[in-house]
Amino acid sequence: MILISGLTNAQITPEFEIGAKGVFSGNLNFNSDESSAVSDFSDTQLLMGLSQKLYNNWRAQFVLGLQFPDANSNLGEVFYNNIFIRLEDQKNVVRVGRTLAQTNLNEFPTLRDDDAQQFVYALNPFSDGINTERDQYSNVLEYTHIFKQRFFVSVHGENFYDSLEPDDFRLNSMGISLVYQVPQSQRWNRNIVQQIGLSYNNYFTDRPGYSNDFESSVKNILLSTVLNIKPDPINFMDFKFQAIQNLGWEEVTQLNDYFDYTRTQSTSLFGTFRYLKQKLERPHFQVSVGGGYKSFNDLTTDSDQLMFITNGFYRMGENFDIGIQYRYTENSGFTQTLFGKNEHRLQLSVVYSFSKIFNKQFGDREDLLNLEHNYIK
Amino acid sequence: MDRRDFLATGAMSTAGMLFIPGNLLAKEAKTENSKRLVQTLPYKRDGEWKEFELYIDLHTHEPAPGYQYHTLAFNDMIPGPEIRVNAGDKVRVKFINKTDLNHTIHWHGIFVPWRMDGVPFVTQLPVMPKNEFIYEFVAKPEGTHFYHCHWGTLMHMQAGMFGSLIVENPNDTIKERFPYEREYTLVYSAHDTNYIREEMNGMLERMKQRSYLMKEGRFNSEQWAVFDNKEQFTASMENGYQPPYVTNRRSNSDLPQANWFTVNGKSYPSTPYLFIKSGENIRIRLINAGAETHHLHMHGHDFWMVADDGVPLEHPFKRNTVPLTPGKTFDIIVEGTNRGIWTFHDHDTRKVTNNGLYPGGNLLALVYEDLPAEELVISKYSGNPMYNPNAGMGYMKGMDTMKNENMDSMNKMMFGEDKLPKIALDE
Repeated sequence: MILISGLTNAQITPEFEIGAKGVFSGNLNFNSDESSAVSDFSDTQLLMGLSQKLYNNWRAQFVLGLQFPDANSNLGEVFYNNIFIRLEDQKNVVRVGRTLAQTNLNEFPTLRDDDAQQFVYALNPFSDGINTERDQYSNVLEYTHIFKQRFFVSVHGENFYDSLEPDDFRLNSMGISLVYQVPQSQRWNRNIVQQIGLSYNNYFTDRPGYSNDFESSVKNILLSTVLNIKPDPINFMDFKFQAIQNLGWEEVTQLNDYFDYTRTQSTSLFGTFRYLKQKLERPHFQVSVGGGYKSFNDLTTDSDQLMFITNGFYRMGENFDIGIQYRYTENSGFTQTLFGKNEHRLQLSVVYSFSKIFNKQFGDREDLLNLEHNYIK
Repeated sequence: MDRRDFLATGAMSTAGMLFIPGNLLAKEAKTENSKRLVQTLPYKRDGEWKEFELYIDLHTHEPAPGYQYHTLAFNDMIPGPEIRVNAGDKVRVKFINKTDLNHTIHWHGIFVPWRMDGVPFVTQLPVMPKNEFIYEFVAKPEGTHFYHCHWGTLMHMQAGMFGSLIVENPNDTIKERFPYEREYTLVYSAHDTNYIREEMNGMLERMKQRSYLMKEGRFNSEQWAVFDNKEQFTASMENGYQPPYVTNRRSNSDLPQANWFTVNGKSYPSTPYLFIKSGENIRIRLINAGAETHHLHMHGHDFWMVADDGVPLEHPFKRNTVPLTPGKTFDIIVEGTNRGIWTFHDHDTRKVTNNGLYPGGNLLALVYEDLPAEELVISKYSGNPMYNPNAGMGYMKGMDTMKNENMDSMNKMMFGEDKLPKIALDE
């Protein structure tokens, strides 16, 4: 249903938010199946949001975003990773469209979002694994209720991309998440716990030999936390951690392909320590060190994965950073067959990140005025 | 269908018209009007001192029905309460800062001792969060003055930190020449409510970080961007410090662009009325506590300019439009010589708007209380034959709906009780 009016000059100009991230790196791979790269600009993205107040104290935002995926991703030059509408009021949020699925509850300090993908995302069991985007993004229908500004309860359904049936847009996943999250603007009020999250995802897979939807599904549980080790405005330190227990199929005892990898039982742990130096209330430099371990209990051959990752970024000026990242990955058993041998990767990078709202008309839920001095509808 | 027209229903909201009937001379109107006038701050006697108490806190303010925003307010009102004293009184003001921001009070136009002038780092340290400061001065000179915060003045003043300060002279030469019983204080201001919101959020967030550092004794000049002297400042720059106004650090390219214009904190249709009777003089004290100039024009009258910045004019003169520049006060005398209801408004009509829509802003009315009831009936004076039962429009071909017997609902919608003023919210 489309409504139009003859009085076109009476339109209200929306808030216009634009976000951009440019990631450019030179990659040196040692002992790797993957070639080095002179100029890798994958994960570069552009995000645009248009927001307006509705007539009934709700707000709506339309978001359109695109991303440049890895060269061999089979996604083409550009992947539209965000196309969704968000409706929200003080305590409720509804999202409809394509965006990040709730298969990751934490944002880790890595150069690119998918640098530790196999450890920090509950992976899409319908994907052939050619790209990382199909694990991260899906078509979602989400409802979130917010209790006391900090407790987020979300129920969500997704249509994850199915490599075998790419034209199937039916619901193939459902889940629920419970997250305690301190608003960014109030982080100085909380010394230790910034976030604790628990999430359950249920993928409606067709498990051979099982007719019951629940029993034939792949299920996983995520546990996540962010701890302020030192909530200091100048020398800030935090620790982030996430564990994923994939309650996969015990009959998958070998990893012949990516489907097996995402459907067998596994336990994944990943954590990072971060130190951020802020000078004059602006980031100055940041170093982080982290690692992950993933084990597979049901496989006939001992198989596991290990990752060590460390990086440092220096802010050259507003929004521009230069950085260096070293990553070591070790695969054994079936994972070596699937993902290749151990690898050392060294990356030198320049990153540009920007986010700005133009034509501002109303405050954000996380504004201190709203959080501490009553919400104005 | 053009996608650009998708849900273009915003147009419909402004195409509608809303008329609310009212009778300015009703008792309820006067009761309501008292809330639109400045409130006088009571004082306690302490020997020869008149002791006042002002506190500052965050406040949710509604300049016009349906629109609220967070702001700062003295004693939970905008403008702050009026301090009214006699010339020569010893005045003590206890100022309590309930916010998480720094503040001071500057006594605009008053000959205070210089340590009482309220300029941070010049005459005093800022009054920090949850702290108090006692201001003491002798009230002089006489006249119309005001007070306002002098910390972060660009934001704090337009956020609402201002109030009138009247120093009365028992032998007032103005009152001798133009005898009057009633007087009104009108405090004008202009507000960029989006700027206020963003700045207040930014300041509150920065203060949380800074409070953390203060508790640990690690807050320094560079973090605060406040230095003891120029040498310390330049030495810091040589060591790599960059002031926040440089374009590669934190400079803000967006200066405020006011979108709300208020009188006594209110915008039309919530602005106050000025009541007068035929033959009566009223005194109006005009104060501009904002950063915009207001070219105030009164319909149907010339008024006497009797004081400038509180100073009585030796030779009062007549005008009907006065440019009230930022920081300025004027006193005017209106003589009740032309019975009616007359608008008094900014003739820079960009400021007779609410968030970009006309009418609004500082539009208000001078209302004669002795206006006969029959003169309040607006339809008699309409030039539109549609509302003239004798015009015979209903007998024209195809105009059956305009016959008198069919016009009740239309007239009711248009005129209600058929008394002025209506509240017209549409263009």
